[in-house]
Amino acid sequence: MIWLVASALLFSIGAYGALTRRTAILVFLSIELMLNAAALSLISFSKLSGSLDAQVVVLFIIAIAAAEVAVGLGLIVAIFRRRETTSVDELRQLRG
Amino acid sequence: MSAGFWEILALLVLVGTGIAVVRLQNAVHAALALIANFLVVAGVYVALEARFVAMVQIIVYAGAIVVLFLFVIMLLSAASANVGADFLPRLPWVAGLGALALAGVLTFAVTRFQPPAGAPALGGGLPQALGPLLYDPEKWLYALLVVGFLLLVATVAAVVLIEPERIIAATGHPAHPRQEKKPNPPIAEQKDERAVVKR
Amino acid sequence: MLENLLLPLVIGLPLLGFAVLGLFGRRIGEPAAGWLASLLVLGSFCLGLVLLLQGGARWTLAEWLPGIPFSLNLDNLSGVMLMVVTGVGFLIHVWAIGYMHGDPGYSRFFSYFNLFIAAMLVLILGDSLPVVFIGWEGVGLASYLLIGFWYHERVNADSARKAFIVNRIGDLGFLLAMGLLWSMFGTLSISELVDKVEAGGYSFTTLTLAGFFLLIGAIGKSAQVPLMVWLPDAMAGPTPVSALIHAATMVTAGVYLLVRHAFILHGDGFLAGLIVAIGLLTAYYGALCSLGQWDIKRIVAYTTLSQLGFMFVAVGVGAYWVAIFHIVTHAFFKALMFMTSGSVIHALGGEQDVRQMGGMRKYLPATHLHGLVATFASGGLVPLAGFWSKDAILAYAFEFGPWLWVLMLGASVLAALYSIRWYVLVFWGEYRGKAHPHESPAVMLWPNHILMGGALGVGFIGLPYVIDYKNFIEPYLTKAIGDFPHEKLPVLTEWVLIAISAVVAVAALWWGFRFFQQKMPAWYERFQAAALQGFYADALYNTLLVNPAKGLAELLFGGDKGLLSGFAGLGSLMGGLGSLLARLETGALRFYLAGLLLALVLLLGWGVLR
Repeated sequence: MIWLVASALLFSIGAYGALTRRTAILVFLSIELMLNAAALSLISFSKLSGSLDAQVVVLFIIAIAAAEVAVGLGLIVAIFRRRETTSVDELRQLRG
Repeated sequence: MSAGFWEILALLVLVGTGIAVVRLQNAVHAALALIANFLVVAGVYVALEARFVAMVQIIVYAGAIVVLFLFVIMLLSAASANVGADFLPRLPWVAGLGALALAGVLTFAVTRFQPPAGAPALGGGLPQALGPLLYDPEKWLYALLVVGFLLLVATVAAVVLIEPERIIAATGHPAHPRQEKKPNPPIAEQKDERAVVKR
Repeated sequence: MLENLLLPLVIGLPLLGFAVLGLFGRRIGEPAAGWLASLLVLGSFCLGLVLLLQGGARWTLAEWLPGIPFSLNLDNLSGVMLMVVTGVGFLIHVWAIGYMHGDPGYSRFFSYFNLFIAAMLVLILGDSLPVVFIGWEGVGLASYLLIGFWYHERVNADSARKAFIVNRIGDLGFLLAMGLLWSMFGTLSISELVDKVEAGGYSFTTLTLAGFFLLIGAIGKSAQVPLMVWLPDAMAGPTPVSALIHAATMVTAGVYLLVRHAFILHGDGFLAGLIVAIGLLTAYYGALCSLGQWDIKRIVAYTTLSQLGFMFVAVGVGAYWVAIFHIVTHAFFKALMFMTSGSVIHALGGEQDVRQMGGMRKYLPATHLHGLVATFASGGLVPLAGFWSKDAILAYAFEFGPWLWVLMLGASVLAALYSIRWYVLVFWGEYRGKAHPHESPAVMLWPNHILMGGALGVGFIGLPYVIDYKNFIEPYLTKAIGDFPHEKLPVLTEWVLIAISAVVAVAALWWGFRFFQQKMPAWYERFQAAALQGFYADALYNTLLVNPAKGLAELLFGGDKGLLSGFAGLGSLMGGLGSLLARLETGALRFYLAGLLLALVLLLGWGVLR
């Protein structure tokens, strides 16, 4: 089914973006893309297997994504206030 | 299910906007591309008998979440994708190869998926069909309550993260109290606490 | 029934005090914490008295352990003990309000004190042996906590540990006795055991063994020879602790346990002889050691040992009610003696050496009166409390054998001597120290007044039959202990015995009063040096038991060290490996993400191609 292929492609594109983007906001955008790809695959499976449960899970994904964005953007703003940057590469305190 | 014209077009638009999200150098443009991507996905949902989810996708995802992104980008004036030094210059190559491999593996996996024959209809994915599932205590009710509570906590957490000063003003305590280190009194001092040694 | 439900409350009140003071004691502060603790004990006393007057009570929780109910029983025997523990306990609580004034651990002290009372009540009221054992261990814990109350000083903490460890030996006896009785009768409820023992159909030798194990338990708790070494060191705790736990109540728990199990002990010649021998040895050992001590609290501690020996002899000769009678009188006069000592220590700002005392009768008139009464009661002067209970023991000893009577008379002469020595050294002569003595506050005097009344009058509940044919306590207690009939002595013999012991006590007191005011002769100095060391019992135990055990411990420690160095090598190897892997931790977020992606590809690939 074509939408499953679309979701696989979108997921890979999102993963590529999460790795190559250097500002926290854009990494975050890429992750949203990946989440959405996962949701798309769930909807496709729902159609294929005739179960509504997958659609309920997608609703939960959207709700949790909203919560995640609220906290994540809050973190980005808080970090920006303290360090004047949104670059993820400059946050390297957790070195081994 | 054969791939008709509209399916092919939607697939192309999805991939195109997806690439735009991860490659555009202006973060505002990337966010707008994401909105376009979400809208197409919503259309796909309607085609897949998930109409209620499609509405939520448009209202919450495209409407609320991405707008929040745009708002933060403008608040921090962080539209440029080129910030700071790049410590990992060879990572894009690795990422590209990794993403290609991932796409290959995933596509291979999904094409081997055999749908069960004679799947029942979904009732168009309308709220009449979804609601009983969502509020059934034996299905998803408790998960729904937990997610609702999670949203509340996340909202409070976002406020605390962004405006610690207001928390202090409202409650009189700092939201993140600093540990004040009190040195231990020397042993001799501890002993002197007892003025009279008696048995 | 309501009154039966009230029974757990008797234990619950002090337990509540323990919890409240332990959790919120610092907020309650001084002196409210002390008064709260005291009033809870008083409440327990009143409740117990009401229940006792309406004829006792039982409370059972059937589903406690499989086959073993949680049962409490308030009968005449446990009732008398309850009255002593909560009554005298209340007075000592009130006295401690004054004594512990200004101590940084004030509320902690009263919290432990209430814990002790609760545990002691469990011990007394328990009808099922495991319940008694809970109380038994509880008082041991409270005793440990209170001996080491001032744990900043190593000596105190060591003394607490010593008491705890020595008591473990006795606990082992108790546990073995429980196991044996369970295997014999299939029940551990004392009231059921009474019937089963009466019914017969078991091996008498095994029953003797069970009695022997119980005796070991009692020896540990009541600090009898050979487990007596912990009691003198227990004086490291605050004086109210010594008065309550190590004189009036806890150390008599062993005697109480034996009396409770009189139905097992009675009529067993071997056990009777053993108990008498142990009691006699302890009575003499304690008395002789007391005569050589300089620390005021150790003097009194050894006198307690000696009196506990008297109680054991009473149990051994079958005079169970007399043993309890002596516990009651002893609780009054020994608590009084300890608290008088405490008042003197308090007056002298912490001084405990009697060589730095003397002449206190001029400075502390009220305390001097208390000390005088305590001395006479402890020394057995007619008609104070100690005389009547000791006389009853002597009468039973005469029935057991005139030789025992002679030996016990000797022990009571020593009792008179050590009492008067304490009195003379503290209150007579000239003051030898440098502090400025001051009389205690009212909160410390009044409990002593009441105890003094008890030391004067409580003996009249147990007059010998020749004076008061039906005294109060004997029929009262035998209802609960069981009636073990015995030949009463002829009237004339009884009168002669009373007269002899009265005259001997007066003579000993008078001779001691003269003797201890003089300069000591050389032979007494030599005796004193040995007695001061407790006749080297500690040194003997160190050589025989403690040092070999320590050597073994050192040996094992050396082995551990060898093993540990091996483990340390292994550890550093792992550490090297770890630091190698730590280089992967670059701190770069995207590097980690790349790792995630790689893993995802690999896992998915494996899952798909498998």
